[in-house]
Amino acid sequence: MGVQKDRVRFNVGGRVFETTATTLANAGRNSLFGAMFDDNWDLQSHAGTTTTEHFIDRNPDCFAVLLDLLRTGELHIPSNVPEKLLYREALFYGLLDHVRAAKWGSFDGNMLRLARSVRGLAPGDGTAIRAGPDGGCCVAHGSMVHVYDWMMEEHPPISLDYQRVNDAIWVDSDNVVISACERLGRDEGGIGLFSSLTGELRYKFRVTHENQAKSYTGGALSFNSDYKLFSSCKGRSNEYGIGVWDQVTGKQVDFFYEPTGWSLGEADKLQWLHGTNCLLVATLFPRKDNCYISLLDFRDKSMVWLWSDIGAPLTDERRVRDAIAMEETRSVCVVNEYEDLGFMDLRRSVGSVRWSSRSRLMKGKMVDEPCYPKLALHEGQLFSSMNDSISVFSGPDWVLTSRLRNSYGGSICDFSIGGDRLFSLHSEENVFDVWETRPSPVM
Amino acid sequence: MSSGPKKRNFQIEAFKHKVVVDPKYADKTWKILEHAIHEIYNHNASGLSFEELYRNAYNMVLHKFGEKLYSGLVSTMTFHLHTMSKSIEAAHGASFLEELNIKWNDHTKALQMIRDILMYMDRTFIPSTHKTPVHELGLNLWRDNVIHSSKIQPRLLNTLLDLILRERTGEVINRGLMRNIIKMLMDLGPSVYQEDFEKPFLEVSAEFYRAESLEFIECSDCGDYLKKAERRLNEEIERVSHYLDAKTEVKITNVVEKEMIANHMPRLVHMENSGLVKMLLDNKFEDLGRIYNLFRRVPDGLSTIRDVMTSHIRDTGKQLVTDPEKSKNPVEFVDTLLEKRDKYDKIISLAFSNDKTFQNALNASFEYFINLNPRSPEYISLFVDDKLRRGLKGEKEEDIEIILDKVMMLFRYLQEKDVFEKYYKQHLAKRLLSGKTVSDDAERSLIVKLKTECGYQFTSKLEGMFTDMKTSQDTMQGFYAAHAAELGNGPTLVVHVLTTGSWPTQSSITCNLPAELSALCEKFRSYYLGTHTGRRLSWQTNMGTADLRATFANGQKYELNVSTYQMCVLMLFNNTDSLSYREIEQATEIPSSDLKRCLQSLACVKGKNVLHKEPMSKDIGEDDAFSVNDKFTSKLRKVKIGTVVAQKETEPEKQETRQRVEEDRKPQIEAAIVRIMKSRRVLDHNNIIAEVTKQLQSRFLANPGEIKKRIESLIERDFLERDDSDRRLYRYLA
Repeated sequence: MGVQKDRVRFNVGGRVFETTATTLANAGRNSLFGAMFDDNWDLQSHAGTTTTEHFIDRNPDCFAVLLDLLRTGELHIPSNVPEKLLYREALFYGLLDHVRAAKWGSFDGNMLRLARSVRGLAPGDGTAIRAGPDGGCCVAHGSMVHVYDWMMEEHPPISLDYQRVNDAIWVDSDNVVISACERLGRDEGGIGLFSSLTGELRYKFRVTHENQAKSYTGGALSFNSDYKLFSSCKGRSNEYGIGVWDQVTGKQVDFFYEPTGWSLGEADKLQWLHGTNCLLVATLFPRKDNCYISLLDFRDKSMVWLWSDIGAPLTDERRVRDAIAMEETRSVCVVNEYEDLGFMDLRRSVGSVRWSSRSRLMKGKMVDEPCYPKLALHEGQLFSSMNDSISVFSGPDWVLTSRLRNSYGGSICDFSIGGDRLFSLHSEENVFDVWETRPSPVM
Repeated sequence: MSSGPKKRNFQIEAFKHKVVVDPKYADKTWKILEHAIHEIYNHNASGLSFEELYRNAYNMVLHKFGEKLYSGLVSTMTFHLHTMSKSIEAAHGASFLEELNIKWNDHTKALQMIRDILMYMDRTFIPSTHKTPVHELGLNLWRDNVIHSSKIQPRLLNTLLDLILRERTGEVINRGLMRNIIKMLMDLGPSVYQEDFEKPFLEVSAEFYRAESLEFIECSDCGDYLKKAERRLNEEIERVSHYLDAKTEVKITNVVEKEMIANHMPRLVHMENSGLVKMLLDNKFEDLGRIYNLFRRVPDGLSTIRDVMTSHIRDTGKQLVTDPEKSKNPVEFVDTLLEKRDKYDKIISLAFSNDKTFQNALNASFEYFINLNPRSPEYISLFVDDKLRRGLKGEKEEDIEIILDKVMMLFRYLQEKDVFEKYYKQHLAKRLLSGKTVSDDAERSLIVKLKTECGYQFTSKLEGMFTDMKTSQDTMQGFYAAHAAELGNGPTLVVHVLTTGSWPTQSSITCNLPAELSALCEKFRSYYLGTHTGRRLSWQTNMGTADLRATFANGQKYELNVSTYQMCVLMLFNNTDSLSYREIEQATEIPSSDLKRCLQSLACVKGKNVLHKEPMSKDIGEDDAFSVNDKFTSKLRKVKIGTVVAQKETEPEKQETRQRVEEDRKPQIEAAIVRIMKSRRVLDHNNIIAEVTKQLQSRFLANPGEIKKRIESLIERDFLERDDSDRRLYRYLA
């Protein structure tokens, strides 16, 4: 064996490490190592001779962990190294993205493990939890939204004039939009866009009717890939309906006024359908006495599909508590308060629900503080929350394949999937759970 | 609280041992970093410790001195850019661009290194404060301090434009340097490239090509001008690929196209002795291809060429079909049409890249002028007749197909397809009966083509004719098989039994057949009627032929091939030597016009005059006398006399055919009217005319006057009625 040409020796905080330039190249150009060994800095010429030692004035234990990460792509944190310390060191070297990527695998509802439970400070019930695109999340509690990054470090909280928050949504990893109730007679509440990092308000989204700015209550939110933001709006007179804004400029670009005999302005859920360029709007019991689900096409301002339970004989089994459109199967999935799933065909212009009497396990043993079921869809897997657990359904026939449960904190009032993580928010204690995919086995 | 400061009870002192970093710390650290930045710009970085600098920048951000670090960076970098800017300004003449390029390379390299040191600030401090990242900051500062400095901006632009002008006039310039400088402008952002270079570049180019095109057009012909324009266009495309932004290609080619082509289109196309018409006349495929490719690039370019081509084809075509000289020989007439069509087909496929719109224009033009001559259907049929009679001999099957396909193309242009059908039927009948058709396959192939083009109805009668021929053959075999014994050595009779209606109608005036034959004919009649009950046979003697064996006085024996009429005449001379015209007429009862023609061919054609006429003259008079020409000699033993050749119709015949066509059209128009009214129930006059014309256009162009007459006739016969309230409306009566 000849002398290895690309050997590199470091002295980190007094401990000597030897590695190769090849290993260091895994760090990428945008890291300390990438810059250090760039031709500009003329260090490469010394690299061949093992006598030269590059001194770095940092923690050697963390360096060892990070060097191992560069060598193998895997992250193993010894018990004597606090995670926070490691993250700080990774930030110094520019390896934080590497750490995040190695920390958990790509999302699979059937391979989740509870990574941690995070307690918050806010009193009262949580309204909503939303997963961010890179592993962080935000939790709406009363009039505040608490933002956590992927390291579960809390950033400055967000509020919109301290009005009650109805919904929150990540438009990208740096920006969160929240919608809040209006304060009568004043231009407060509505919808605003905030920096997730600093919590500062960038701008508010206004509703104007005949060139007059109106105060309104923002409801459910959604956005599309065309940088348009949608929200249900409820105002004093003419502001009922779905507002549309340009995310980049913050200007209102459209408004879908609520037709008589139908509810849009108080919708519980908006969902943008990329394939059909339509918006699903669902207003559900108990906000209204009846359920209204419709698909809006903004190009010609029409309701292209609709369903309501007005006039139908209503039993609790028939009452829809949440709805989600599944574009691949051209259908809408709904759930009742016993977690029975129902399906509607989107190709028929008028919908009707086909209930599947899958599970009656829950019936009869309701917990003290029940939470109504909620639905989520992620890459062909359907998730539904009920009491203190979340069910995972897979395959074309939506077979129950997994159940996630962490009984501490009471019923799950909301959950959200994003950034390869699942977050569930409990209603009794102010605590939320982080679920991640287990790393793949060694062999 | 009036107690003064004297009355002090206790005092909380500030915590003295507050852990503060060295107050000079920030300044000291920044000095180190500032020094490093200077060294980097001075190409003196080898003595710097990357790790130390990185750590210092990290510490400044960590200890909340990010703002100081950032503003220090801005001012230090600005300082160096000022120095660079001065040195670029000082560069003389051609070294200006080179100096700019060198300094730009220095700056980008330094910028990269600075960013490396300040990586931590770039990652943490800048996003949270919404400041411009280091790399972008460096580019912005370069743009503001160097490129947009008042002494550099105009000079840079002028230098670039001047170099391009020099390259356009044939000089060689340093393209590598150009590419680097343009690349720099693009790196600074699309708006810098567009505002500082692209816009003025396009304006200057437009001016340049405006002037050049005026100069060119004065001193070159169309072909040369287009060559130059094409070369310029390619030069610009090449220039873009060498050192400009790819997005500029469309813009600069638009400029060249507009200035060199779009602005001069009519002048180029109509250029005396070299314009488009001249190119078409001379088959200049290369020039035509060039004009097509260049004009295609500009709006209305192709329609300009197409219009000129169309009017040229129409004019020359009109001349062709209305030229009385050409009309004399139908075959030549059609040949010229086909030639013309081939010529333009070739032009369109070779030069106009088979452009559909050009093909359509060509078709429309042909349709226009072919129908200018009312005899075109007849001539096309005659052409086919000629080809199928003799022209196809020796030609391969594929060639026959090609010729037939071409004929079909011409056929498609005809508006009066029924007239063609009429003639075709006549000509086909003659071909079949005289056994003159060369290839049964070719005949049938053409019928199939007509069928696919016009439908079953169009060819059913033509096919019927072929069936008749086949059946007749079988009948004759049957006849001879049955009567073989009793017929012996007598004359051989061949009968074609023609279905009435399938064949062109002929006035069935029979002549008196010679006794030998009439007996034989009677035998056949009884045989035929015996096998087919309920039919009527009548003899069409005017269409038959006969082979005679003749022995002349000098002992010479000849075999004469004549028509049935001629046979009847000649047989009379078996019993007598001389006969007068009137005697012949009486004996044969051949209609006088036919008789005259047949005597003319027997007595007046040199070399074939088996009869001698008294007096000798070209024409047949009622008082002429005929005798056997004993001196008749021929080199051939087989002599063909006065074959019935399909010829151009004479004027009265033409009138007759036309009349028959008109007559045939009546029921077709009526049928169309009834079909339409049956589905519509009520329709106004104009719409009926339009719909009928549309329905019939595959066969002929219906005359609105005729349609009106047909409507009236249908009203009389209670198929239709006029609406009581609105006289323009017709109602269908079921």
